[in-house]
Amino acid sequence: MDYEVLMPQFSDTMERGKIVRWLKKEGDYVEKGEVIAEIEAEKAVMELQSFKRGTIKRILVSEGQEVEVGKPIAIMELGERIEKPKVEEKPKLEEKPKVEEKKPPPPHKETEKRIELPPGFASPYARLLAKEKGIDLKELQEEGRLTSPTHAKDIEEFEKERYFTPKALELLREYELSLEDLLKEFPNKKIDEDLLLAYVEQKGIPRRVPVSSVQKSLISNLSKSFVVPHYHIYEVFDLSLIPWDKEITLTHWLIKIVGDAMQFFERLRAVYREDHYLIYPNSNVGLAMAVGDELYNPVIKEVNRKSLREIAQEVRELRKRAEEGRLSLEDIKGATLTISNLGMFGIRAFDAVIPYGQVCIIAVGMQEGDGKTHMTFTFDHRVINGFHGALFVKHLKERVLDKNYIKMLKKGA
Amino acid sequence: MSQTLTEKFYYLMKLGREFEIRCKEEYLKGNISGFLHLAIGEEAVHVGAVVGFGKGDLFCPYREHVLALARGIDPKLIMAELFGKATGVSKGKGGSMHLYEPKMDFYGGNAIVAAHLPHAVGAAYARKLMGEKAGVLCIFGDGATNNGTFFEAINMASLWEVPVLFLCENNYYAIGTHVSRSSALKDLYLKARDYMPAEVVDGMDVFAVYEAVVRAKQYIEEYGKPYFIEAHTYRFEGHSMADKGDYRSPRELEMFRKKDPIDLLLKEAYKEGWLTEEQVRLIDQKVEALVEEAVEFALSSPEPSEEELYTDLSCGVCSDVIP
Amino acid sequence: MLYRDALNLALDYAMEHDPRVVVLGEDVGFYGGNYRVTDGLYVKYGAKRVIDTPIAENSIVGTAIGMALMGLRPVAEIMTVNFAMLAMDQFVNQMAKLRYMSGGKLFLPLVVRMPQGVAKQLASQHSQSLEHFFASVPGLYVFCASDSISAYHGLLHAIRMDDPVVFLEHTLLYGMDFPFEYVKNFDPFKARILKEGKDITVVSYLKMVHDALKACEWLEERDGISCEVIDLTSLRPIDFETIYESVRKTHRLVVVYEAPKTLGLGAEVSARISEELFYYLDAPPLRIAGEEVPIPYNRKLELRAIPTPEKIYERILSWSKSHGL
Repeated sequence: MDYEVLMPQFSDTMERGKIVRWLKKEGDYVEKGEVIAEIEAEKAVMELQSFKRGTIKRILVSEGQEVEVGKPIAIMELGERIEKPKVEEKPKLEEKPKVEEKKPPPPHKETEKRIELPPGFASPYARLLAKEKGIDLKELQEEGRLTSPTHAKDIEEFEKERYFTPKALELLREYELSLEDLLKEFPNKKIDEDLLLAYVEQKGIPRRVPVSSVQKSLISNLSKSFVVPHYHIYEVFDLSLIPWDKEITLTHWLIKIVGDAMQFFERLRAVYREDHYLIYPNSNVGLAMAVGDELYNPVIKEVNRKSLREIAQEVRELRKRAEEGRLSLEDIKGATLTISNLGMFGIRAFDAVIPYGQVCIIAVGMQEGDGKTHMTFTFDHRVINGFHGALFVKHLKERVLDKNYIKMLKKGA
Repeated sequence: MSQTLTEKFYYLMKLGREFEIRCKEEYLKGNISGFLHLAIGEEAVHVGAVVGFGKGDLFCPYREHVLALARGIDPKLIMAELFGKATGVSKGKGGSMHLYEPKMDFYGGNAIVAAHLPHAVGAAYARKLMGEKAGVLCIFGDGATNNGTFFEAINMASLWEVPVLFLCENNYYAIGTHVSRSSALKDLYLKARDYMPAEVVDGMDVFAVYEAVVRAKQYIEEYGKPYFIEAHTYRFEGHSMADKGDYRSPRELEMFRKKDPIDLLLKEAYKEGWLTEEQVRLIDQKVEALVEEAVEFALSSPEPSEEELYTDLSCGVCSDVIP
Repeated sequence: MLYRDALNLALDYAMEHDPRVVVLGEDVGFYGGNYRVTDGLYVKYGAKRVIDTPIAENSIVGTAIGMALMGLRPVAEIMTVNFAMLAMDQFVNQMAKLRYMSGGKLFLPLVVRMPQGVAKQLASQHSQSLEHFFASVPGLYVFCASDSISAYHGLLHAIRMDDPVVFLEHTLLYGMDFPFEYVKNFDPFKARILKEGKDITVVSYLKMVHDALKACEWLEERDGISCEVIDLTSLRPIDFETIYESVRKTHRLVVVYEAPKTLGLGAEVSARISEELFYYLDAPPLRIAGEEVPIPYNRKLELRAIPTPEKIYERILSWSKSHGL
């Protein structure tokens, strides 16, 4: 029978404990009352005695690590001494446990009702405000235009409705204007959209646009990408053979062709990790995708194993999800190379910043009448050196002119 | 006993006696109010102890007029305090039970029975830590020895080996309860004897008290350890002005009045030739004048200003010693 | 830095720089303190300055008073505030009064430190919050510390003062790790605004500050209610000016404390606000406090008896809704 040895609570205030030293190792037999570990809590080192007799099967928390009280730190097999204790495969030691962030309680289902009283009641501060603004509280309460008791916020709302059109109120928020200032500027006047717009123009007040969370992460990743040592290769491609149409666009074709080419260059399927590379078997190609004001970088996985039609469909699905703001983490991680196409806007050539964690981005320009297209390759120099980069570009150039290959792709689409 | 010492005893005891008789009069006139605890009958303990102890910190209970006078505090300032005047020794904020003069190492009366015992222990600890030899005299009544704080204090004093002379003035009554009805041990010094040397002395005999205290002082300062003296005495008045003291039989009172410490002192002094009637007459005159002067001073002194209500609550400064 | 280490650092600093500073209490010396606050001081400064006392609370405080009268600067530790009840005579009748009754002739450079509050299942006699007992006594200063910065600087300030200070700590804070920095001119008499806000002023102290902050974070994220959180570092005197200034802005006051609601510190703060700022109030002041019960042993019941972040959040939310926010 297995028995979990838990991090003990030595004192009323102890929340976490640190294993200073294991006095027993896996496979050791332990008598009841024997000291098995030394634990530090609240600056004191205390001995942990075994409450049971048995064999230590696994040690879950290594020396120097800290865990919360009540968490298992070892597993024992109870019972008499066994001659050859089974020792399971060396287990993974528990990672430093995360302190669980307290979650707020679930929202109220029945939210508390506002206190309601017959006309004539107001908070002291609401009365002060009403007096300042020359509002007759009782009259308005009797007319049903103010609730009773009236609070400061009710008066503010009342003032807003009284002096501002709904559209003007929206602008008020966008430009972060002060209600008080406007009421002073335009006393006793209904303020509408036009009046407000004229006002902000005259005063030169900027409109405040919040940075979206997507944009925030993009900004942070861009800055990280920018310090990656990189270089560019500029080349003109002849894409006249590619029979793209509305359904399967040039971008879809390029994803497929690049993905296939990546199969011959493992460094294009790699990511860099401190002292090693991780090389993925399949070609996972990212796509720079503008949706509204945002830039997304979803990934089409295993491009080498997918048909053009499948790719086209997947790109459309990803775009839809991006538009609906429901791209998952799976949808955006794992690419090693990204394609960014600005050709449809008539841009001839440009270069792009490698998305953080990837090794290459291909910036695709406009396809000219004769099918000539500028493409700029940006490589992570730590992973792909110039020689490999050049070979990859050369390979790709040849591939787009390979009639049989293109025919095969079209057929298989 | 030297002549000068006897003269000093007589002067201080007579001053205490006359001062307190006058206090009683002024209380009845309404010039003094609140609690007024008179030590009439206990002067031998108070004077003998303070004079015998000499230099050193003094912690007292609430019956402390005579102790303050013996320590040398100006009768004018004490009377003014009793009158609640701004010129009083505690600016009129303390009253009869709270006379303080740290410049004379007089740490006052305390209105809570036994509360000042740990103060004396702490004070002695501090003196010892600072490398001073001076001991601390702590006076309290028989009632205090039944309080837990008493046992805490004698335990700590003995444990920490600090020079405190615990002087218990046993006047047999804790307000109206006789010591036999409140203490399991009739001999109060037995309560301390296992912790420190303890002895009993006749508290009506100023010479006996004096000699015992001088010995004890030598002991505590030489060994840096505490000492206990129980002095038997009697208060001729009630516990305070509100107490007629009629729980005591006239016979008992009469018996102790025959042992009035001032009479005993004079009898001894005349017998030994330490004092002449002329000397006594001169001292009496001087005492009478001093008491009269004290009352006049108190009467003519101003009341504290209303602002005084809010002063002396805190120092309002920070010590600049710790950088 | 751990809260207990901050206190230890302050004691160490004071003892190193002023030979008159002594520490006394139960188990503070050889043993190192029951909450390890005095750890290491015994070895460094010796038994004469780090004094182990018998279990005699009244005389621990009493002897500290005697030491202070003679010019030492004692820092006494009462193991928990619950045991301070045995020493109330010394706190209330002696420590708080001697200076005043002597017409300013005596002064007491004295600190009594002690933890209070609910830790974990210590039951009724070890779980109380009694700050209002001390904060209602003229002649005492009452400081408290909610993190390592206020613990270090507050305690050091208390030791520097020539007046008696009751220094309250919270049992659960000892093991908590807080960012630490040396603050120039730290003033315990000035309340700290830990979070700025515009809708509600939330006043708290000791451990409840952290629970209130958590609740206010949720209120801001989920309900768009912006709270200003004020941490009191002195409970006598209370820095009412900072509270007034905040309430003049928010028009709403909430006080969060662990002691039972009745006659607690929140009663005082609410009453002052009602007296001084009645016409500025947009809602009745709200007290979120402990239940009117002794603290029970059972963990579930124990948590029911005191405010938690969840309860604080819900109470503020429903109160805001009832009163037109």
